Formats: sequence, structure tokens, C-alpha cells
Amino acid sequence: MSYYLSTIAVYFGADLLAAWALNMQFGWAGVPNFAFIIFQAAGAYTYAAVTLGPDSGVNSFQHYILGANLPFPLPLLVAALAGGVVSLVVGLITLRRLRRDYQAAVFLLAAVIAIDVVSADVNLFNGSNGLAAVPQPVASLQNSLGLGAYQWVYAAFVALICVGALVLVRSLGRSGWQRALRAARDDEPGARALGLNPSILRLQVFVIGGMIAGLSGGLLVGFISAWSPGAWAYSETFAVLTGIILGGVSNDWGVLIGTFLIQIAFQEVTALFLPQIGYPGLTDALVWVVIGVLWLTVLFVRPRGILPEKRFRVLAVPRTRIWRGGR
Amino acid sequence: MTLPATAHDVPRRAGGAVLEARDVRVRYGGVEAVAGASLTIEAPQVVGLIGPNGAGKSSLLAAIGGQVRTVSGTVLLAGEDVTRLPPHRRARLGIIRTFQSASVFDGLTVFENLLVAGIGEHGATLRAALLERRRAHARTEAASQLARSVLEEFELWHIADHYGRELSGGQRRLVEIARCLMRDPKLLLLDEPMVGVAPHLVERIGEHCKRICERGVAIVIVEHSMEVISSICDRVVVMASAQVIDDGSFDVVMTSGSVREAYLA
Repeated sequence: MSYYLSTIAVYFGADLLAAWALNMQFGWAGVPNFAFIIFQAAGAYTYAAVTLGPDSGVNSFQHYILGANLPFPLPLLVAALAGGVVSLVVGLITLRRLRRDYQAAVFLLAAVIAIDVVSADVNLFNGSNGLAAVPQPVASLQNSLGLGAYQWVYAAFVALICVGALVLVRSLGRSGWQRALRAARDDEPGARALGLNPSILRLQVFVIGGMIAGLSGGLLVGFISAWSPGAWAYSETFAVLTGIILGGVSNDWGVLIGTFLIQIAFQEVTALFLPQIGYPGLTDALVWVVIGVLWLTVLFVRPRGILPEKRFRVLAVPRTRIWRGGR
Repeated sequence: MTLPATAHDVPRRAGGAVLEARDVRVRYGGVEAVAGASLTIEAPQVVGLIGPNGAGKSSLLAAIGGQVRTVSGTVLLAGEDVTRLPPHRRARLGIIRTFQSASVFDGLTVFENLLVAGIGEHGATLRAALLERRRAHARTEAASQLARSVLEEFELWHIADHYGRELSGGQRRLVEIARCLMRDPKLLLLDEPMVGVAPHLVERIGEHCKRICERGVAIVIVEHSMEVISSICDRVVVMASAQVIDDGSFDVVMTSGSVREAYLA
């Protein structure tokens, strides 16, 4: 049970990082980033490739680019960087000129194209088989502590990163930069007419979100030691989005609750306890159907989620506090 | 409460009018919306831009504000050529505008709507959010005080915490105009600000326009109501068929017959 709980804790931490990152892009900036999962995948693959060493010798059973053997925690930084670089490229193509509905279409296509390319090109990241035997960080610790304790240490490390990310997200969330993003989200011509440059603002939040996604991918693959196209189908982005919408768009704690309910309480628990019915894969498919229905239900019944975005108040607080944020 | 002094009195280049739009042409596909229109505003004044629907008024405004690209012609702000600048760069130089459909940020409160304009592009950078937090805080504090002053002057302070989406049509107009003031404009472009606004608010918006102009801000207002034009405009420019056909005081323009000609053409 302890093994299972620590595994769930790590998954939750990685999912939470992803959800906060997507919430910055979608909630603050209104970017319909249906390609989000490819930035997490970029981080995961890069982490694997820079820790596995060359694809020869013990690793000759798989093929991949980069092939380095960087010491921890450098692979995590490189993973974040990879997420940022890929999101910069995708963002430069998508965010500058396209209208939001076209952006959504391009993101969706980018996610589909990316997974097809990675699956088809065996020399990139070992094709559809993916990468395996990825070394876990500080393996010596695993030998001295044992697997169970090591997993909890890893979970604690992920939790620490989540706290750091929360501090960053909340700090940015109170800034003029975030307010400008929300303004550009609501009315782009209006924001431009006030001197703001929505294209740059969106690109910035897109890259920051991509970096956090890359980091979460790195943390995941460092834990599960394997990554393949099966782990990052485009539908995974919709699971993250459903958590955000259920919890409350633009509310950090709401996103935490929604992510827990969807990714852990629903997806993980159903994966463990639901009996497999019908033909193989039917139960998993039905889980996705339920996620879709849940998304629509939330939009109809409680469109602002469990914890709606906090209103910036100046009237209810003493005047001396007004200028300190008023939240 | 009166507004803090604005910085519109930035020294202009020698001989530079507040606005000089020369021979501006705007084309949408095969349609010429503005066919060589010129408009010069030498000193802060309220200029009414009138004409029938399709005359090219909003397109001329958009050409000045940078929302549409001009096919040819020049737009100078205080002597500086801004013709090739995108709208956000023109806004930073002092050309601020409103839109036919009131542009209010619906997901921001009224106070935040003003704050986002008051903090401006310098306070809205990622660098300021991450590395210059003390300076950003000071900027927010100054913008907050100005926002409060503006909201009190516009009698909107009591709805400061309302989201943009919770406002009535008239309130949205007032917030939009109030927000423009946070940017310290040199030239204010108002595109039909009285549309859908209750009569008592029309009067208030008109008074605000006159007061803003007295502070040294030039205003170009597109408006169909002659009553409004006559009460607040120092000068009237008439457009018809994509061209400027008359320019002068309200009385002169009305007696010249150009308005009748424009609307009956």
C-alpha cells in the first residue's frame, strides 16, 4: 500500500505541475493549448535521453538522439529547457497571427503530428516502443534506503518542486503581467489599444508553461523509468483541462482540487479498481467518455468550477490595504 | 476630486500638430473605405467626425489608431511619423482609442480595468513580475491612486469591484473612457461613445469629454447625434463617400449644406 501511495503522490505532483502550467496558458491567457501534452513529452524524452548515456552497449536495444549521461539534477533542468524550446517553436508559429479557434485547431494537429512523427521515426526516441531503463536519480540512495523509502523521498522531492512552482505561480498571479494577460484574453484589440502587446505576453506565458510541463515530464520519467507514445496521447491534455475546469479556472487551489479529483480520485482509482468489462480496452475508453461528459456537465452546471477565480476587491478592504493587492 | 496632472505636455517637435493625417487611404479588398482623407489637429480640441454610415469615419479612426493598415498616406503624432507603427506602439506614444462596441475586459473588475491601463506596458512585463517586484509594486500603487481618482471623478467608485461583464451598456462606456485616461493620452479617439447609452449618461460623457480636452488632450469623436456634436465639439469634420468633404465650426458646417449633401448623397 505504501508503494502504491508514494506512486500516486508522485503522479499527483507531476499532474499538478502540468495543471498549473496549463492553467497559466488557458486560464490567464486564454490560449487553447490542446498540444500541452507534447511539452510534457518533450521534457520526458529529453530527460531520458540525457540520462541513459549513448545508445550502444547496454542501451543498444533502443535508439535515440542526444545520448548523454548528465548528473542529477541537470537532466531536470534540461527537460524544462526542452519543454520551453518546443513551446517557443510551436508558439511562434501559432500565437502571433492566428485567431483563437484556429489556434485550437493547430494545437490539436500539432499534438497528433508530434506523436505520429515520434512513433514513426525509430531513431528519434525509439519509435512506438519508447525509451526504457531510464536511470532513476541518485540511484545510490535507492540501494541504501530500499525501494519503498526511496519512493517516498522522491515523492517529497516532487512535493518540494510543487511548492516552488506554487510560489512562482502565485507570485506571477498577483503581477501586472498576469493582469495584462487576462486583459488580452478578454479583448485583444482593446489591450493593444492600451499599449499592451498580446503576442509577446502570450508567447511568454506559453514558454513558461512549456518549461513547467517539461519539468513535470522529467519528474515522471525519472520515477517510472520509461516513456513511450502511449503515455502522451493528445487526449491526456483533455484530462488536465477537465481538472482545471472542474476545480476552477485561474484559481490555483481550485486547480489543485480539480486535478486531484480527475487525475487521482477518478483516473487512478478507476484504473486500479474498475473491473475490465467487454472487449479489452473498453473500460479505459469508457473512462474517457465519462471525463468528456464530466467536462460538459461542469460547464453547464458550474462553469466557474468548484473554487471560482478570486475577485480582486478594493471596496471591502481598508484603504491602506488597497494598494497592497487587495486580494 | 480632481485628476492628477497628466503628462500630455510632453514637448512636441517644432511645428508638430497634435495629429496630422495626410492623404490617408484604407482599402478592404476591393472596397476603398478611406480615399485620401486628411485631418489635422493643431491644438487640443474636441473634433467631431460625422457622416452617414459607410462614409469611412471609423476606418479613418482605425487608420490613425493603427488598427488597420493604410494603403498610402501618412499619420504624424506630434510631428512623429507613426504610419508604420502597430497599434500598441501608437498607444504608448499617446494615441488611445475606444471602439464602436465598448471594449471592457469582462474578466477583470472595473478597478482592474483601469489598473491594467495605468500600469502600462512597463509594469506588465515578465521582468517586472519576476525581478523588479519592488518597482512594480510602486508602479501599481501609483496607478491604484490614479484609478481611484478617475473612478471617483466618473462616479464609478461604487462599482469598482464589479466585473466588466456585470456592467450595463452605459457603465461600460464610462469605464472604457475612464480607462483611456489612465494611459495619459495625447490624442483620444472615441468611436460612437454614446451608442446605447441612457440620455443622462450621454450628457455625462459629453461633460467628461470637454473636461478631458481642457486638460490638453485632443479628442476626435465619431458621433451621429448632432445634438451631442453641437454641444461638445469645437470643430466638425464631415466625411462622405470615403472622403473629407467639409471642415469647420458646427455652425459653419451646418450652414454650408455639406451635411445635407452628405446624408442625402
